[in-house]
Amino acid sequence: MMARCPALQLCSVFAGYGRYDVVRGVNLAVEAGEAVGLLGPNGAGKTTLLRTIMGMVKHWRGRISVNGVELGGMKTHAIAQGHVGIVPEGRRLFVDQTVEDNLLLGAFRFRRDRARVRVLLESVYELFPVLFDYRVRRASALSGGEQQMLAIGRMMMNDPEVMLLDEPSLGLAPIAVEAVARALRELRGRGRSLVIVEQRIDLAMQVCDRLQVLSAGEIVSEQQASSLDVEGRDLISAYLG
Amino acid sequence: MFEALVTGIALGCIYGLVAMGFAVAFLVTRVINFAQGQLLMISVMVAAAAASAGWPSVVAMLAGVACAAAAGALTYVVAVRPVLASDRFSFGWLVTTLGVAVVMENVAAIIWGPTSRAFPLMLNGTSAHIGSATVSWQQILAVLVAFALLSAFELFRRRSIYGKVSMAVAQDPEMASAVGANTMVISVSAFVVAGLLAGVAGVLVGPITYANPYLGDTYGIDGFVALMMAGADQPAGALVGGVLLGVLNNEANVIINSQASAWFPFVVVVLVLLVCPRGLFSGEVRSWLRGVRRSLVGVG
Amino acid sequence: MSSIVLRAQFWVSPTRRAWLARLGYGSLGVAYLAATFGVARGSLYLQGLVLVAACFAICALSLDLVAGSTGLYSLGHAGLFAVGAYMTTIIQAQMGWNIFVLLPLSMVAAAVCGLGLGALSLRVSGLYFAILTFVFTLVVGVLLSDLAITGGYAGLPSPSFPNFRGALSGLGSALAWTVMLALLVAIVVTWSIRKSPMHRVLLAIRDAEPFAEAAGVRTRVVKVMIFTLSAALTGMAGWAFAFLGFVSPGQFSWSVSVNMLVMVIVGGMNTFLGPIIGAAFVSMFPASLSIDPLWQEVVFGAIFVVVVVFWPRGFMGVVSSLGRRLAPVQPVQALRSGASGASGEVSSVREESALSLYNGKCVVSRVGSGPHGVAVICRGLTFHYGKGPAVLKGVDLTVRAGTIHGLIGPNGSGKSTLADLISGRLRPDKGTVEVNGVRVEQLPAAERARHGFMRTFQSATLVSELSCKDNVAVGYYGRVGGIGSRSLVWPLWPGAQRDAELLSARARAALASVGAAAWTEVRVADLPHGAAQLTQLAAAQVSEPRTLILDEPLTGLSVREVDHVGNVLRSLRDSGVTIILIEHQVRFVFALCDEVTVLSAGEVVASGEASQVHGDPRVREVYLGV
Repeated sequence: MMARCPALQLCSVFAGYGRYDVVRGVNLAVEAGEAVGLLGPNGAGKTTLLRTIMGMVKHWRGRISVNGVELGGMKTHAIAQGHVGIVPEGRRLFVDQTVEDNLLLGAFRFRRDRARVRVLLESVYELFPVLFDYRVRRASALSGGEQQMLAIGRMMMNDPEVMLLDEPSLGLAPIAVEAVARALRELRGRGRSLVIVEQRIDLAMQVCDRLQVLSAGEIVSEQQASSLDVEGRDLISAYLG
Repeated sequence: MFEALVTGIALGCIYGLVAMGFAVAFLVTRVINFAQGQLLMISVMVAAAAASAGWPSVVAMLAGVACAAAAGALTYVVAVRPVLASDRFSFGWLVTTLGVAVVMENVAAIIWGPTSRAFPLMLNGTSAHIGSATVSWQQILAVLVAFALLSAFELFRRRSIYGKVSMAVAQDPEMASAVGANTMVISVSAFVVAGLLAGVAGVLVGPITYANPYLGDTYGIDGFVALMMAGADQPAGALVGGVLLGVLNNEANVIINSQASAWFPFVVVVLVLLVCPRGLFSGEVRSWLRGVRRSLVGVG
Repeated sequence: MSSIVLRAQFWVSPTRRAWLARLGYGSLGVAYLAATFGVARGSLYLQGLVLVAACFAICALSLDLVAGSTGLYSLGHAGLFAVGAYMTTIIQAQMGWNIFVLLPLSMVAAAVCGLGLGALSLRVSGLYFAILTFVFTLVVGVLLSDLAITGGYAGLPSPSFPNFRGALSGLGSALAWTVMLALLVAIVVTWSIRKSPMHRVLLAIRDAEPFAEAAGVRTRVVKVMIFTLSAALTGMAGWAFAFLGFVSPGQFSWSVSVNMLVMVIVGGMNTFLGPIIGAAFVSMFPASLSIDPLWQEVVFGAIFVVVVVFWPRGFMGVVSSLGRRLAPVQPVQALRSGASGASGEVSSVREESALSLYNGKCVVSRVGSGPHGVAVICRGLTFHYGKGPAVLKGVDLTVRAGTIHGLIGPNGSGKSTLADLISGRLRPDKGTVEVNGVRVEQLPAAERARHGFMRTFQSATLVSELSCKDNVAVGYYGRVGGIGSRSLVWPLWPGAQRDAELLSARARAALASVGAAAWTEVRVADLPHGAAQLTQLAAAQVSEPRTLILDEPLTGLSVREVDHVGNVLRSLRDSGVTIILIEHQVRFVFALCDEVTVLSAGEVVASGEASQVHGDPRVREVYLGV
């Protein structure tokens, strides 16, 4: 029986800006259909880790691979050809364009395959009906929660094997957070692999299978979300301060 | 005076196309291409040389435009990309695009000699009457072509996926690459479009001016002034700015005195910039207008 | 260059170094005089070449002051140059005044224009400012071409310059001596500024304007003043240029403006020799190659492209990369373990005595606060970014004097925005801020800093090319009076050395007190994030503020460093400083703070004594979602 490659695998990855490493020897494996939560204090390197996977930051040691394909040396736009997609911190929507245009741009790699784009678009509108209602509105006119939906939708249009989300609940009201959690559970249900950076343990527990804590660039703790007891939670809280 | 208006519009369309080229390149790459005027010159020189070598006029002009577009791509690859790669916020491109402009101008002078030569006549001989004015068909063509290009550009920008992705690159290049866009290819394309626009401007203005290697300076600076008035990242506005400049030029000559075209447009440009430093069509003016409209609607 | 100097420092003691420096400057001065002598007695051709280059060198030096050091890219210097040259020529022709009287006149005329342009820089920045200055040059060009008094396109002939008489005539052309003297003045002024603490302030304005403002630098005033100075120097260059033949609009066109910027960039921005080398190259190169003039231009243009593409830092960049290869700098060891707990020693006796001299003059008293011992009161603060939703909705905050007040809440709850409103980086849409009894919500940040109010930023904005010590010294700028005005002749001013050492000593002491002594001479660009935070903390407290806001100062610090910061904050509080602490490390906050306020989604959820708030179930809910 052949060993299956994990959907996302990081082996001893070191990365950073300038002289000092921000990510120090991170090992991570995410199976297909699994959601891993990445927790940790500010400055621990969580965002840098996601950006490294996406190719925005060069890693000089270690290997990153998606379903067996090595990402080392690939430029971001090549990585975005179906290997990895990202919902970055702050969403970074194309604010001057309409909701539908943002989604179509997410599917830029399918620009020659109209049928596929239509199918993807329909599935996004099915998951987020509010986006269908607002499809001709400018992205800047949406509320925080709606913008987060749009950012997730845009990434879904790219249909990547691995999905990265950086603090999807940031600055959102509780109702919006609920909606985001539902969307993420749905994504997990569709068989995609997710890596979610979060500050809020409750959201991470609802959505993820495993929780990992990153501190000062290293993974210091790993817990199963389903079996997380009070002690485990306290351990995590300790790292959050 | 009406005739001056019409010819001013025609001349202004030339300035406007050059300005539009500046704006497209700036919009996508945040770089002002100092060699933009030289791209116009290349198209004029190549077309003139091809025509005098016996090529049919239309083919010669297409060759001119194509060379201008290629020169635009070359400028990006040689002078802009390496500078931006080392530091996205430096102003080094000021020096390198200027260097490219100097090289282009003098290479053209070496190849074709520093003196002027004739440009194939297209429609200059024939003229039409609009109202009380006598306007050559060449000038009418200039206006038609300019507005056709503007419409095509706006349609492309808003409707085609490539237009939208170029706007995405303009706004957030890193995020654009995260959805799969190759920012290098898109930036080169922006410079190719800038070269195309300058090239078309060149073949439109060629018949009324002589082809010489130093055309780039004059049309470049006029296009740049039009750009500043309109707003550096507003291609449609840039064309309008160019037309405005052309009209101001000609009308000043007629209404004030024949020397006025040297200074009157500048007065207007200075006034405009003092009030709207980022240009007439810039984002801040637009949001101010929206605010005014909202308060008017509220009153009514 | 600095790497070579660093190595030299290892070998030579301070006093010997000072003497060597004096010897060095002396011999440079003699060499300069000898060169001037050679030019003054040389052929007219040589004089024409060198003197024109000298005028452009003055322009390039003054342009580098605003563009390279302060980050204001100007394409208007050809216009200022023209103002100087034409003022001289026209007034001489019309009124026949003594040409040496025309020098200050031309400088003032150019300076007035510079004042206007500098004021414009406050409205727009970056490329758009460059465009406005470009328009200035165009306008000047148009005026020169079209007014009768300026002689139109043909221009005006030069006024005549007197020659040496009698015994002095052996010196050669008096004009050559005058122009070279003017260049020497420009060199001395720009060199003085580079050597003075003002230079670091300019760099801070260029790279980290919020940091400079928060440190009390009146950035708006400084920008206008430096532009005016630059314009005055360019006016002086114009005066000199007026005597070199004739003046016509073509010599001051927009392309000359661009060429000046090219000189600075190709020579090396923000370096001492760079602008001079660049000016010499750009103005003398076209005359130096004796090949077909068209090919010469091609080579010229190609050199521009090649130099900037391969050496973005210009000719001086080439020199310094060669220097680095010959004399490599010691690599910075991973000094994390050594960074905490060390109480730094003051490095030289002179610095220590300078410190003690000044201690007696501590101006701001720590005691004293607003009514009822309250340091900061915010009432009903509301704020939107542009058209977006409200980030803060009617926030009230009361901070008692001499306490540490914690401000916590999840990411995105508005803590940093609140800090920006209190410190002056932003103005509230509604509500008031009172600091020590004074209403400050409309005061700019720099003014609040001068009232004894300092802050740090969440993402450390510092000047990357300067060392930690130099960055911290910017924080002390407001305390040592007259740095700006003395910077023009800094190395020659008697008290300057003492003041520089004072700044240095205080900066060192501040760094040592936060546990960052090991990073004192390290460039900020080479620092890990935690050390940059400590440097910010040192910069904020070096000027002995009465109130401090710290925005996530613990990010990236090790456990030992966090403990040390806690001790530093406690001792600051005990000496009467009020501290508002924004942090995520909740345990640290509750252990250290006297009172805590909790923010969530722009509203205050709980506020009061630390132990009270800690037990509040709403806090756990909001923060941990539990």
